[in-house]
Amino acid sequence: MKPYFIALQAIVTREALRFIQQRGRFIAALVRPLVWLFVFAAGFRAALGLSITPPYQTYIQYETYIVPGLCGMIMLFNGMQSSLSLVYDREMGSMRLLLTAPLPRWWLLFCRLLGSTIISIAQVYTFLLIADLYGLRWPTLGYLTVLPALILTGLMLGALGLALSSFIKQLENFAGVMNFVIFPMFFLSSALYPLWKMAESSELLHDICAVNPFTHGVELIRFALHQQINLQSTLWVLLATLCFGALAIWGYDPARGMKRPRG
Amino acid sequence: MSLSVKGLSYAYGAKKALDDVSFDVASGTFCALLGPNGAGKTTLFSILTRLFIAQSGTIEIAGQDLSNKPLSALKQIGVVFQQPTLDLDLTVYRNLKYFAALQGLSGTYAENKIMESLEKMSMMERAGETVRKLNGGHRRRAEIARSLIHDPKVLLFDEPTVGLDAASRSAITKHAHALAEEGYTVLWATHLTDEMSPKDQLVILHQGAILANDKAKNITGDSSLTQTFLELTGAEA
Amino acid sequence: MPLLSNITKTTALALCLALPFSHAQAEEIWISNEKDDTISVIDVATLEVVRTIETGERPRGITFSHDHKVLYICASDSDAVQVMDPETGKILHDLPSGEDPEQFVLHPDNRHLYIANEDDAITTVVDVETRKVVAQIDVGIEPEGMAVSPDGKYAITTSETTNMTHWIDTETQELVANTLVDSRPRHAEFAAGGSELWVSAEIGGTLSVFDVESKAEKAKIEFEVQGVHPDRVQPVGFEFTGDEKTAFVALGPSNHVAVVNAETFEVEEYILVGRRVWHMAFNTDKSLLFTTNGVSGDVTVIDVAERAAVKTIKVGRFPWGAALRP
Repeated sequence: MKPYFIALQAIVTREALRFIQQRGRFIAALVRPLVWLFVFAAGFRAALGLSITPPYQTYIQYETYIVPGLCGMIMLFNGMQSSLSLVYDREMGSMRLLLTAPLPRWWLLFCRLLGSTIISIAQVYTFLLIADLYGLRWPTLGYLTVLPALILTGLMLGALGLALSSFIKQLENFAGVMNFVIFPMFFLSSALYPLWKMAESSELLHDICAVNPFTHGVELIRFALHQQINLQSTLWVLLATLCFGALAIWGYDPARGMKRPRG
Repeated sequence: MSLSVKGLSYAYGAKKALDDVSFDVASGTFCALLGPNGAGKTTLFSILTRLFIAQSGTIEIAGQDLSNKPLSALKQIGVVFQQPTLDLDLTVYRNLKYFAALQGLSGTYAENKIMESLEKMSMMERAGETVRKLNGGHRRRAEIARSLIHDPKVLLFDEPTVGLDAASRSAITKHAHALAEEGYTVLWATHLTDEMSPKDQLVILHQGAILANDKAKNITGDSSLTQTFLELTGAEA
Repeated sequence: MPLLSNITKTTALALCLALPFSHAQAEEIWISNEKDDTISVIDVATLEVVRTIETGERPRGITFSHDHKVLYICASDSDAVQVMDPETGKILHDLPSGEDPEQFVLHPDNRHLYIANEDDAITTVVDVETRKVVAQIDVGIEPEGMAVSPDGKYAITTSETTNMTHWIDTETQELVANTLVDSRPRHAEFAAGGSELWVSAEIGGTLSVFDVESKAEKAKIEFEVQGVHPDRVQPVGFEFTGDEKTAFVALGPSNHVAVVNAETFEVEEYILVGRRVWHMAFNTDKSLLFTTNGVSGDVTVIDVAERAAVKTIKVGRFPWGAALRP
């Protein structure tokens, strides 16, 4: 088992080093949710204090509502960004280097996935710290209980990115991923509005949101911040992680080939 | 036999990239795989490194069957890809350390191996420099050093001299020949005819099939290699 | 550091949870439901409604006798002050109250109840032992807010339409002073050891602080809730913490409770609660505050130290008054 963990450590460290070097990426990753929080949410401040839905026990400000959704947003962007870098890696060849290591592919992909998830989690905690300084707080224990939820959601979104990266042939196609994956996933979820509010405007919209795995990732984080487990969401996220993971392993199956080489 | 390829075929859909390719390379041999662009060299390398799996044929690396025992076989391979694969912002040492870990090597053992390999490629004094600061020739040498860390038996070099100036090219070619003399099996893909010596093994690949496989001097006879190559491939030079 | 204070809070909570049975009797908060004609009883330990008791029509102001043996209820539409045995929930008898009693206050002597009769512009004084009206004092139109000074010297009535605070000498049962406040005064409380009188003005959107000695206004507190139209910021009920250094002020349809520094008269925080927050009551150690939210039909529990809402409990329709039964 030892080589497995040596490789795991190396891959995670490399991801972390790359992330630290790209300071711009770190700042961008934080600025995005903070803009939503301070500009978008502040405008809607009192608009949502109308209904109490679990896990909340009392009326909440809209800002409080969207924080878990913004945590999800960080992880969503990060998952896609890491898939972007996978496509880039493949064009540059360092993906080849990784895949020729004498370890099973699923393990190598998992290491990559874990690396990007850990980076997502570091970003989420930084975001939560800033939110805390702004006055948006959760029970102290919630910051701990949210960790498994973040890991699971991060793995799910990372696996989605991984799966996508195995099917995207070129870097240029990535803009399409942004339009057709990130935005629908984010907007058609419970990140910005609770599902009951969606149901008020359209049943169909509500149903789409209810099957969106991202919704369940967000709900998982939301409940975990309040030291609660949302069983339904947990199952959804697990199922989605397995599906995306399987798709990624299939996508990277050597028997399928990668892409037509130019040489 | 250190590298043995038998009846290898691979097609992208209807288009055949490799058609019943077979050749052997013995230990301590420098084998040049010569072919024009599009001959199937990169496909062959992708299959040898198990990025793809061939539709038919077998590959043995240092006695290990690549499809039955892929991980043991991969352990015996050191690769330098055509595309650069170094992390530009990391030092040479860190890049090699990362690779060592992918091979399951760590601690002082890995450190010693890294130093040994760098020494072999006369790259010791560059260990602490970030890759971005190195010139093309040194980057390639760092990659060759990297391919040696885990003591592979077979070295696969896919057009490693592309984009280098003449001096760097000859230095690297010389290094590769030295490695073969040390006992490594070297498979060296190229489309340049001046990178091999007459006593090297030469495999000429054209449109996915092998046109010739022998000692270079036996293939060329009295004419120049360039001349022979052009004749064989019928290329419009 | 907020995280640190959270840790302290968690520890404190854990300690509280470890000693739940040290109280002989569970503390309760009693809530009158104006539209349901009921009282909802909330267990402070579990924060759940444990009993619902029928009352007369439109119960509003409620208060326990100082020994907590009986509960007085302003049953406005029954035109009566009802006296209830809190153990059994049975109405023992009615007190004569005058018409449409809305709010009242029990004198420190535990005997005289000062009742605001909204429709008659009268404050009625009832002796709860003889069950007789002792006095009726003419005050401004639509009297509502009632208070009595800690030394028992003054009783206060505020009149909604006249916009006045009426000072009643409890010896003579006569008006000794009238002071003007902002539009529609709703609630009055003595503060600072009885040296100050605070009066909330619902439409005026202010809280006036009077010096009891001179009966002059010494401060006026204004409120501003971010994202809420100023017209909806309507101060009504309010209460002071044990040290009287902090006041919690219900701001009606703004759905917020303001936290006011009672020494500097500055608003320090706004806490989101249910819709149209009206009155409130503390638990015994004043660590929790229970606000009645009329329109949303629930009670929000505020952690006093943290200044944060922790839970909202569904009660009857239009909860109005709140009282602690230790």
